[in-house]
Amino acid sequence: MAYHNQYRPPHYNSPPDQAFLWNIFQRVDKDRSGAISDTELQQALSNGTWTPFNPVTVRSIISMFDRENKGGVNFNEFAGVWKYITDWQNIFRTYDRDNSGFIDKNELKQALTGFGYRLSDQFYNTLIEKFDRQRKGQVAFDDFIQCCIVLQRLTDVFRRYDTDQDGWIQVSYEQYLSMVFNIV
Amino acid sequence: MSYYRQGYSGPGGNPPQQHPGAPYGGGVQPGGPVGGPYGGPGPHAGAPYGGAPAGQYGGGAPAGQYGGAAPGAPYGGYGGPPGSSGQFGPAGGAPGAPYGGGQAPGAPYGGYGQPHGGPYGQQVPGGNIPPGVNPEAYQWFQSVDTDHSGYINLKELKQALVNSNNSAFNDETCLMMLNMFDKTKSGRMDVFGFSALWMFLQQWRALFNQFDRDRSGSINSSEMHQALSQLGYNLSPQFLQSLVSRFTVRGMSNALQLDRFIQVCTQLQSMTQAFREKDTAMTGNIRMSYEDFLSSAITRLM
Repeated sequence: MAYHNQYRPPHYNSPPDQAFLWNIFQRVDKDRSGAISDTELQQALSNGTWTPFNPVTVRSIISMFDRENKGGVNFNEFAGVWKYITDWQNIFRTYDRDNSGFIDKNELKQALTGFGYRLSDQFYNTLIEKFDRQRKGQVAFDDFIQCCIVLQRLTDVFRRYDTDQDGWIQVSYEQYLSMVFNIV
Repeated sequence: MSYYRQGYSGPGGNPPQQHPGAPYGGGVQPGGPVGGPYGGPGPHAGAPYGGAPAGQYGGGAPAGQYGGAAPGAPYGGYGGPPGSSGQFGPAGGAPGAPYGGGQAPGAPYGGYGQPHGGPYGQQVPGGNIPPGVNPEAYQWFQSVDTDHSGYINLKELKQALVNSNNSAFNDETCLMMLNMFDKTKSGRMDVFGFSALWMFLQQWRALFNQFDRDRSGSINSSEMHQALSQLGYNLSPQFLQSLVSRFTVRGMSNALQLDRFIQVCTQLQSMTQAFREKDTAMTGNIRMSYEDFLSSAITRLM
C-alpha cells in the first residue's frame, strides 16, 4: 500500500536487490538530482486512500535517513527509507484486517499495546483526534506512521527525565521546553 | 493512568521489552520546595510584556480581522511575580496563533466561513479579490500558485519564501505554517489561508528586523535573548544558546535565519502555553505523568 502497485516488491519480506531499488530510485527522483526530496517522495507514496501522503510523515522519514541534512535522501539512504516504509506497511496490514486503508481506535490500541505502550482509553481518543487527518474517526497509514514516530520520540525523552522510572517527572519550564523541542 | 514500558522502537528495531515495572506513584513527594519562578536571571521580572513591542504589535495593531494573527504573543510573561494576575490576563486575548484548535479570539481567518461563493475553482480575474483577502497577498498568491490549482502546496510555498541570505525556507517551517493555515489538513492552502499566512509573515519579518540589531540578517543568541525578553519570556542565556545552535544551519555561525526564528518563536509560544496550563500555581516547576506529558505535547503539535 505504501507505493503504487507497479513499485511493489514481489516478496516484501526478502530484502530487495540493488537493481530493483535503483530502478525505483530513478523513477522517484524525477528531477534526476541524485537525491529524493520531500515532494518527490510524497508523490511516490500512497497511503491507500487516494489523498496526498502526509507531508509531515514524509519530512520525518527523510530527516531520519538524511545524514548530511541536505533535504533529501541519496540512493544509499533510500534503501533505508524503502525498508522503513515497507516494514511499517507490513505492520499496518496486520492491524488493518479489513484492508480499508484505515485502522480504528481499537486496532490502534492493539497495535500500540503490541509495541509495549500502556495508554488509557481517553488517550487513544486524543491520538485519534490528532492523527486522523481525514476526519473519519480512524487513522490512515501515513498518519499511523507519524503517530508512532511522535509517540516514540516523546517516550524516549520522558524516560530520560524519569530517572526513577515511576512514570512521573518533575521538570522546570526550561526543561520542559527542551523536552518538547525534541519533536519539533 | 498508565505506565509506559519500552516503547516500540520502530520497525526493524529492538523488539518491545518488558520494563522491570516499578509501579508508579509510589512514594513520590508532590512537588518539592517551591523554587523561584522560571530560572533565568531576570532583569525583566515584573515587566512581562517589556513595554514597547507589546503596544506596537498587540494593541496597536489595526484591529482588523487579521489583527489576531500578530506574532509575539507573549504568553506569559514568565518571570513576572506570580500573583500579578494582570500578566496572564491579556495573554488570553493576546494575539495568538491561529492554530491549535481553539479559535483564537481575533478570528485570524477572516475569510473562512464566509458564505461568499466558491472562491476555489473559479479563477477570479485580477482585481476581483475575494472578500477578506489582503490585496497584496492576493497578488502574491497568484504568482506563487505556479500550477494555478487555486492552492499552494509545500513546494510552491518553499519556492516563494527566502531568508535574507537568499536560502530557501526550510521544510519544517514551511510545513508548520502550512499546517497552521491549512484548515483542510490536506497539506495545501487556499487564498484565504494564504492571506492570513502573509500577514503572519509580515509581522514576523518586522519583528525579526527589529531584533536583528547588528543588521546581520540573522538573530544570534544574545539578540534572541533580548527579543524573547521583550516578548515576555524569561529564559536563561544558556538555554537560548543551545536553542539557537540547535536550529542553526550547518556550517554557519550560530544564529537564526528568519525561517528558524519564526519556527522557534511559534513553537516556544505554543509550548509555553502548554506548560502554563499545567503550572497552575506558577512555581516554574510542574509534575506530570507520562500520559499528561504525551497529551500536552501531542495536542500542540503543529
